[in-house]
Amino acid sequence: MIERIEAALAGASSNVKLMENALTGLEGSYVELLTILALGLLAVIPIVVPQHRRQVYRHLNQVFGICVFVFVVFTCLGVFGMIRNFHRGLNEIGRENVIALYYCSVPVTVLVTSMIFGPMFCGWICPTGALQEFSGMLLRGWHRARKRARYPFSWLMLGTTMAVAGVFLLWMKRLADTRTFFVEDASIYWSEVLILILFLLVWRMGAWDRRLRRLRVVSLAIILIAAVAQLKVTSPVHFGFSKVYDPASILATVMVVLAALVVPNVWCRYLCPWREAIAWAARHSVRHLETDPDKCTRCGTCNDVCNVDAIDRGRVEPRECHMCMKCVDACPTEAISIHDRWPHKEQSAERAGS
Amino acid sequence: MSGRRAALVLLTAVWACAPVPADPGTWPSLRDGSDANATCTWPGPDPAPDIREWHFTHKGGRRYKMGLAVWASPALAIVQGRPMAFIGGYGQTLHALDLAAKERIWFKITNGEIGTAPAVGRADGRQVVYWGSADRWVYAHDAATGRRVWSRELVAPSPTMAAAQVSSPLLHEGTMYIACFVHDRALARNKQVARLYALDMATGEVRWSRVVSNGPVSSPVGRDLDNRFHLWIAARKGLLQCFDVSGERPVRRWTYQIAHEVFGSPAVEPDGDEPLLFLGSKFGNLNAINARTGQRVWNRMAGNWIDNTACLAAVDGERVVFVGSHDYKVYAFRARDGKELWSRPLGGEVYSAPCFFRESAGPAIAVSALDDHLYVLDARTGEIRTSYFTGRPIWDKVPKGETLWGSPVAFQAGDQTAVVHGSFNDTVYVLPLEGEVSLRAQARSSAELWWGLLVVLGLFLGVVLPVVLWWPGPARGQGAVRE
Repeated sequence: MIERIEAALAGASSNVKLMENALTGLEGSYVELLTILALGLLAVIPIVVPQHRRQVYRHLNQVFGICVFVFVVFTCLGVFGMIRNFHRGLNEIGRENVIALYYCSVPVTVLVTSMIFGPMFCGWICPTGALQEFSGMLLRGWHRARKRARYPFSWLMLGTTMAVAGVFLLWMKRLADTRTFFVEDASIYWSEVLILILFLLVWRMGAWDRRLRRLRVVSLAIILIAAVAQLKVTSPVHFGFSKVYDPASILATVMVVLAALVVPNVWCRYLCPWREAIAWAARHSVRHLETDPDKCTRCGTCNDVCNVDAIDRGRVEPRECHMCMKCVDACPTEAISIHDRWPHKEQSAERAGS
Repeated sequence: MSGRRAALVLLTAVWACAPVPADPGTWPSLRDGSDANATCTWPGPDPAPDIREWHFTHKGGRRYKMGLAVWASPALAIVQGRPMAFIGGYGQTLHALDLAAKERIWFKITNGEIGTAPAVGRADGRQVVYWGSADRWVYAHDAATGRRVWSRELVAPSPTMAAAQVSSPLLHEGTMYIACFVHDRALARNKQVARLYALDMATGEVRWSRVVSNGPVSSPVGRDLDNRFHLWIAARKGLLQCFDVSGERPVRRWTYQIAHEVFGSPAVEPDGDEPLLFLGSKFGNLNAINARTGQRVWNRMAGNWIDNTACLAAVDGERVVFVGSHDYKVYAFRARDGKELWSRPLGGEVYSAPCFFRESAGPAIAVSALDDHLYVLDARTGEIRTSYFTGRPIWDKVPKGETLWGSPVAFQAGDQTAVVHGSFNDTVYVLPLEGEVSLRAQARSSAELWWGLLVVLGLFLGVVLPVVLWWPGPARGQGAVRE
């Protein structure tokens, strides 16, 4: 049975890149640049979509993001892959200039769009975030009830976490028996830590939620050090972006999706290093959310709909916000709105005021 | 027949059947001999020069095409007392590398990619390197100096012809056998044909050629049977053919249709009257076929494709066939009956052909896998002795099963062994198995893996978590908010 599942996974993994094969068959066409084009387009879509159907368009954008980055074109959108590819792009300058441009421009595009439009990459594009969000939708009502009750202990959560841990351990047993591991197969450790966090959250989510988010800094530091020191650390959610059938990375990806059933966007909240980098880039973004305190009734609707608990009774925490705009769309009094703050306009306003 | 005469006949027969020690100055086919051991042994008695770790990179100006054979398999030979490797690849260039001096002695640029290993033979008293290129030409250059001996165009060009797929040469007694597949895309000239050529090793003159398939074909392997030289070649479409090439024209002895695609070349037992031939297929089965009659003797399944060539060697008096599969495993089967002696899962698809050699610790094989590692395994048990990180592919994605990337070969001198491998990260590695090697990567056992998980558990709960929870300063979401 397990072998059949493995064979099916291997078969599926070898077929998911059919589109890519067709595109790369066009010799000399530099289809890799489609990634940049797709990334740019996906970043612009949030600005142009009509407000009344925004969440539908957002989910379409996410599905499109999954299709583009997992099924069609090359690239790793994980922070480690981006840093590694950036370094590789620098080495290609002078020989493969288009490839060099491509490798260097993927992280630059993500960070620059975050600097301008805010962390829309997280809420509108990121395939890992999208997979978690779709997974979390299955238990949306339960999540909201727990949130309103300030995350009490729950037997259901404990049972689900133990089931996720069981899947992890059984899968690990199978992998340990059937393949060779090296130090660089780090995705299993990310999965392990994710499960440990789930166990902590079963009892202490209400108290430790905010403090545990500091782990993102730790994971960013680990990955930056590994990339600079050229340590061979596999990106935690490497599977989707890789054509190599890598069971450890598949395990890590499945764990992220399963864990998101228990706690919505758990990977983004506590471990995603890229989330930390994007939050840093988006600190002074032009586009941001603002709350009008006169309109806000403290009804808590925005808090209910937020997947990452970045908002509390109208107070938006920019370092946690994914710019999904669910709070904007859900607010019954339209107290939360999107604002573009261009520096030259502010200076003009200041001059006019003075 | 008198007793003395009978003894003489018996002695002659034994001598004739005994394996002839391989000439270290030659590399007659894709993987050296018909058994595909792919190992060159220093002849002695002079001590061999010290082989040290070397990473050779040749950066050409060519754009990468996904999945291309970055480096083909190398050929090794002792040339004027120097251990040398000859290797070509997508850079269209054949390089002659002195493994002891760690320098490139000469190189020759062709007009096409070099997809398979060269061969080294002797012609007119000198050592000559022969190879084919996708430009439809075969080249013969002096192994020591790189001076051109001859070159020959195998197929006339046409404006619509795709790059040719030229096999590794097979050298035997003054004749070079080589296969070439060309595909002309024009409707008017539409042709897909693979021909087998016999060329004079000294002059390059074509003695004969014959169509062997209408699709790509493997590299030929050959050996003597009944004092006549026989050659085996497999078409991608699964047709295995045996030719007697001792006469003026080749005579096809038998054919065997494998039901699935075949990428690798056959491996044939180098001795015995009823030698077995081994060939894997895309169905994942290893076929053992009587090389004399073309009858299937046994067939064993792996879990996934067997893309590359098998390797044969005697281990503890028993002939064993080693083969890698895309199911991550290396298999060792007893040659005579196909009994599985061991199988060893590695970290990725085993895409390379194994090479066999004898270390001080016992017989060993080296294989490369798609987890970017090269492994050295104990040939008796399959235990991993050591492994090396040989770099990630130069392209982001790996189109599996469409290309035969380079396979490792070994150079041996006494207790000293070095593996030479052209990796798909654009570097040719020369890795001595003894002493310190910078690329050594320690594969972990199952127990070590669980210990690793425990260590991470301890580090997380004992160090990271307390620091994160009790680090002074506002927690996330408790700082200033924009309102």
